[in-house]
Amino acid sequence: MRLDHAALRALLPHRYPMLLLDRVEDVEPGESLTGVKAVSGCEPCYRGIAEDQPADRYAYPASLLIESFGQGAAVLWLLSRRSGTAGLPMFTAARDVVLLHPVHPGDVVHHRVRLDQVVDGAAFASGSSWVGERRVAEFDSMMAVVRPVDAVAEPRD
Amino acid sequence: MSERDQHLEQLREIVAEVLEMEPEEVADTADFVEEYEADSLRAIEILARIEKRYKVEIPQAELNEMRSLKAVHEVVARYAGWQD
Repeated sequence: MRLDHAALRALLPHRYPMLLLDRVEDVEPGESLTGVKAVSGCEPCYRGIAEDQPADRYAYPASLLIESFGQGAAVLWLLSRRSGTAGLPMFTAARDVVLLHPVHPGDVVHHRVRLDQVVDGAAFASGSSWVGERRVAEFDSMMAVVRPVDAVAEPRD
Repeated sequence: MSERDQHLEQLREIVAEVLEMEPEEVADTADFVEEYEADSLRAIEILARIEKRYKVEIPQAELNEMRSLKAVHEVVARYAGWQD
């Protein structure tokens, strides 16, 4: 199963500038997912950087890469749940994340996510991120819990 | 080392990792919440890691019991069929 951007927006509550997943290439609910994030020089994280900075100044921030992987894990979990189960996944912990190579504007990152366990309203995922044939990050354990939609929704007037 | 001690040391390592402590700092009977400032998320993480490691299913109702290393050992032994 493939999910385009519109389908991701229907699943995830995240919006600009924190929706960090562009597409899902393949998902097997309950098992695994491959998500895509294209990094561009237009990203807000590159705004306001002074001129004449070295190339490494444009390395994609680790926090955003981890969040992007986490959003892939969230989609996988949401599609794996029994129908009628309410609540949104909230990212709570990452353990043993290893960043192997920096990601730069122009790179297309593929997150390969596995759903390891679902325990008492908490889900655990692991996997790795790739740019082409190069593994750029490993994720040993990413944890999320379910919280009621009301608890995280923006108040409306 | 007896089987019981081995299990206890393995569980101590799991608890220490989740609570971000050294294994030798985790006492047998210390209350995770009161003495190590653990919250309910850490408790779920400990439960999940134990289930994965020992391929055992522990009902979530037992979470309330699992407040110290000794209590965790007792619960896990019951569901994993350890003769400790």
